[in-house]
Amino acid sequence: MTMITATPDGAEALSLVGLSVRLGGVPVLRDVHLTVGATERVALIGASGSGKSLTAGAVLGVLPAGAELSGRVLVGGVDVTGVHPVRRPAAGRVATVGQDPAAALNPLVPVGAQLALPLRHRGLRGRELDRERAGLLASVGLTDARVLHSAPGELSGGQRQRVCIAMALASRAGLLVADEPTTALDLVTQAQVVTVLREGTRGSGLLFITHDLSVAAALCDRAVVLHHGAVVEDAPVARLLSAPQHEQTAALVAAARAGTLPVGAPA
Amino acid sequence: MSAPVTLVATGLERRYPLPRHRPWQQREAVPALRGVDLHVAPGERVGLVGTSGSGKSTLLRCLLGLESPDAGTVTVAGRPVRPGTTASLRWYRRLVQYVPQDPAGSLDPRATVRELVTVPLRALQVPGDHEAAVSTALARVGLDPELAGRRPGELSGGQAQRVALARALAPGPALLLADEPVSGLDLPVRDQVVAVLTELSTTQGLGLLLVSHDLAVVARLCDRTVVLGDGLVVEDRPTTELLTRPRHPLTRELVAAVPTLPA
Amino acid sequence: MTALSRLATVLGVVALIGVLPWLSGRSPELSVLRARSAEQEATPEALAAVRAELGLDAGPLGLLGHWVSGLFRGDLGTSWISGGPVGPGLVEALGVSVTLMTCALVVALVTATLLCLPVLRRVGRGRPGRTGGVAGAALTALPEFLLASVLLLVGAVWLGWFAPYGWTGPASAVLPALAMGLPAGGLIGRLVADGLAVTATERWVTTWQVAGASTGQVARALVRRTLPALTTQVALVLVGLTGGAVAVEQVFAIPGLGRAVLGAAESQDLPTLQAGMLLLLGVSAVFGGLAALTRALLLGRALRTGSVPVPAPVSTTRRRDWLLPGAMAALLLAVVAAGLGRDPLTSAHPRLATPSLALPFGADASGRDLLARVAHGAVQTVGTAALVVVATLVVGVLVGLLSRASVGPVEVANAAPPVIVGVLVAAALGTSQAGAALAVALVSWAPIAAYVAAASEEVRRQRHVTVLPVLGLGPAAVTWRYVVPAVLPAAARNAVLRLPGIALALAALGFLGLGPTPPQPEWGLLLAEGMPYVERAPWAVLAPTGALVLTAVLAVSLSGLSWRRAPRPAPVTEHPLPVG
Repeated sequence: MTMITATPDGAEALSLVGLSVRLGGVPVLRDVHLTVGATERVALIGASGSGKSLTAGAVLGVLPAGAELSGRVLVGGVDVTGVHPVRRPAAGRVATVGQDPAAALNPLVPVGAQLALPLRHRGLRGRELDRERAGLLASVGLTDARVLHSAPGELSGGQRQRVCIAMALASRAGLLVADEPTTALDLVTQAQVVTVLREGTRGSGLLFITHDLSVAAALCDRAVVLHHGAVVEDAPVARLLSAPQHEQTAALVAAARAGTLPVGAPA
Repeated sequence: MSAPVTLVATGLERRYPLPRHRPWQQREAVPALRGVDLHVAPGERVGLVGTSGSGKSTLLRCLLGLESPDAGTVTVAGRPVRPGTTASLRWYRRLVQYVPQDPAGSLDPRATVRELVTVPLRALQVPGDHEAAVSTALARVGLDPELAGRRPGELSGGQAQRVALARALAPGPALLLADEPVSGLDLPVRDQVVAVLTELSTTQGLGLLLVSHDLAVVARLCDRTVVLGDGLVVEDRPTTELLTRPRHPLTRELVAAVPTLPA
Repeated sequence: MTALSRLATVLGVVALIGVLPWLSGRSPELSVLRARSAEQEATPEALAAVRAELGLDAGPLGLLGHWVSGLFRGDLGTSWISGGPVGPGLVEALGVSVTLMTCALVVALVTATLLCLPVLRRVGRGRPGRTGGVAGAALTALPEFLLASVLLLVGAVWLGWFAPYGWTGPASAVLPALAMGLPAGGLIGRLVADGLAVTATERWVTTWQVAGASTGQVARALVRRTLPALTTQVALVLVGLTGGAVAVEQVFAIPGLGRAVLGAAESQDLPTLQAGMLLLLGVSAVFGGLAALTRALLLGRALRTGSVPVPAPVSTTRRRDWLLPGAMAALLLAVVAAGLGRDPLTSAHPRLATPSLALPFGADASGRDLLARVAHGAVQTVGTAALVVVATLVVGVLVGLLSRASVGPVEVANAAPPVIVGVLVAAALGTSQAGAALAVALVSWAPIAAYVAAASEEVRRQRHVTVLPVLGLGPAAVTWRYVVPAVLPAAARNAVLRLPGIALALAALGFLGLGPTPPQPEWGLLLAEGMPYVERAPWAVLAPTGALVLTAVLAVSLSGLSWRRAPRPAPVTEHPLPVG
């Protein structure tokens, strides 16, 4: 099992301090405070349009052009507010998995070559690289050697998402931001991806962005509820489920309960 | 509403040719359906589940008369259904209507609600007062008639979904074929769609064939569930039985994938 | 289906070239007889013998058979002027033209690369954004005949660095290669730079950068991902070089294929024209094949798996994008308003009079008021262009809605340079403003048709349209009630935005003597008339050049606006979710 190493000095994997974002003058994120511990898994939950993906963009440093940002984004203790990934120091880099795995991989380059990019960046070469790469793929449940030589278009949606996760794990960043990584998948594949994410981030921080509280409950320790660009609740998942404080949280809990089986099914 | 009808599909087979790498090569074909039998009794609510790639969409296209199966037949109320001219399928489209994935996304953003719901009435040459039929359809999905002049952009997510359902109901079908009607929707909106479908099928006696990868949705709506895997029916039993005692490994996997929440 | 359509179209064009003598309806036997021997009596028998030898009496099919069978024997035909075989001279001219085009290609590639580097550098520094493209736009703004005239004026006449005319050595290729290569390179560079900027916004670029890929790796991947979608357009630009060669060879008096073809059209020597056209078609086919090969090599496996990248929609127009075209249009309108009341045809002034208050633009070699001629020329050129626009819109929409059978004609019309078509039309129908308009219309409908085809395809894929068959609507109803209303406004805007470009194409034909005849005040003709006096009276050239440059800048800045893709439905606005 490949693990991501924790950030040094026990610093928080991520902390957002009073983050606000305006798009074209309209405030879309308002004074967001959020921390992800060095090995913590935190869910960021909200309906579409609540500002979840913009938060991810601010953390990754890829906000749309014209976005005005205030507040601070600290990754592994390094201030990276508004800094593009290319210009970030190694400690401030963030690994990412997105909603659409088809778009997150270059369609013209075989999977193996893309997976080698972060490994080569870490200084691995030749045999060592091959071994590490095979290990990574195995850790996300891809053992068929043909995957290495496939173009992303030749894989299924679930396989592509697993390759994306392997790529994110390969960079050994202290924080992984997963933006709705399961939304486009069917339930069976969803469950597999959640397992891979749980196993892969044992040694690092995870910010898991979703609109589905039940997926968050299966993966995360703590959840932050975002509504109209502001944090309305921040609590352990178990507490959110049993005693939601804000009406938006209550709506999300009710909706999640409606998505479970009405009869007691055996696990 | 039309009198309840039976939909029967027997021995449906369909294969898709792969693109050839070289012009002189033999065309390879992937089988999507490998002999599927399906039966929906009058007023019955049937769920069709399977993972992506199991052949659900292909089966639905064959049932809708949009695609011709390589073998097998589809009949409704004893009459065969096969792709043909628009006029030759009118009778069928009045009896059986369709709800696409994210129904509200299939609404023309430039048309008003009234125009949208009138489209199938005109196209299918449904006899009678169209104005009244629109009001009835809107009432059946629980929409305020005052919304008839609005456009989709001026409706809430849940309202727009209801409009799409009302459009399918307008010609007075006896059976609805729904293709993943709630996947990709935000949970609260999904809830509203499920609620309307439940209301229509349980209290208004409309037949329903619901295609989904999510057993939780199927469990709330359907009496019977058909599990499709790799182009074949692997299990076909009453829903409660299927959920409590799944037999086929695929069914077990689908049941296990439904999220559970601690109380 | 598409391959069949392409093949049929190319064969059709070849057949059309084959029956040109029949289309023109001319009787060349007397001139052929005279050319062979001045003494021979032009008896009816002797003339009939010549007609039979040229295959002119056999009707269009017989003529075509005669010509094609000659081609298979390696016989390109007999000149109607000299009476000798046309093959050897043309092959020599082809050599000159190919050398020139290769030089132009090098210039174009260097230019395009220079235009793309800043974009790649910005992406590498993590600052992707919109491409400015000012340099590219400026280069693209000048059509070859205009740029050639300007370069001749500056490089050969004023600076005296290069010989103005002829083909004497490597130095004589410099100015023509620049005249052909700069606009082509500017166009390719702009296309690729815009494409790169759009590709740079794709998610995988972030994935790669986060994964630690080097700037070089990202740049290479970006280029490889962007180029395949553009090869067709780049091929069109390269095929356009053949049209540019005609104009440039004419300006610099280079004994190449383009000039030979133009000369043959002027002197109605149809066999030379036929053979020249065939050779030009061959050159175009080579360019097209090169582009297809490049595309296949770049895509590799992805082509087979069907995951070919689709060019992403270009960002929407901003309000200030309208500033430049607005200013150009206002200047042109001012000139027209000032000169429209004056007399363009009477020689009432001294020859080549210098500009003064009474004659703001001076007078031409016949003592005519240049301001009046430029203004009336605007009305004539732009008026004709407007008629062409209406025709192209109607044809383009109808063909664009048709099935894939129209692929071949659209591609060939899209690729055919207007100058080449102008030569063919002039050969068949003689030179006139109507002929020039027909030639430009014959090629200008294709972009509209291609746009309508792509846009209607996109409309048909929208989910509110895909659901219609199940609601009981037939294909015709879907097309007329949903597709046409959605596509027509954008297609019309697209066609209108092309008006200045069409006016320039008309001017190019006028400049080459393929359009209206003197003394009509047509812009291209004005420029051609002024060229012989460029050293004594630069204003005779400057007035029409200025008007043409204004139009060219207008054309390019407007075409940037029309490059938006198919219309999208109004976005469904998000509403706050109902709680509970």
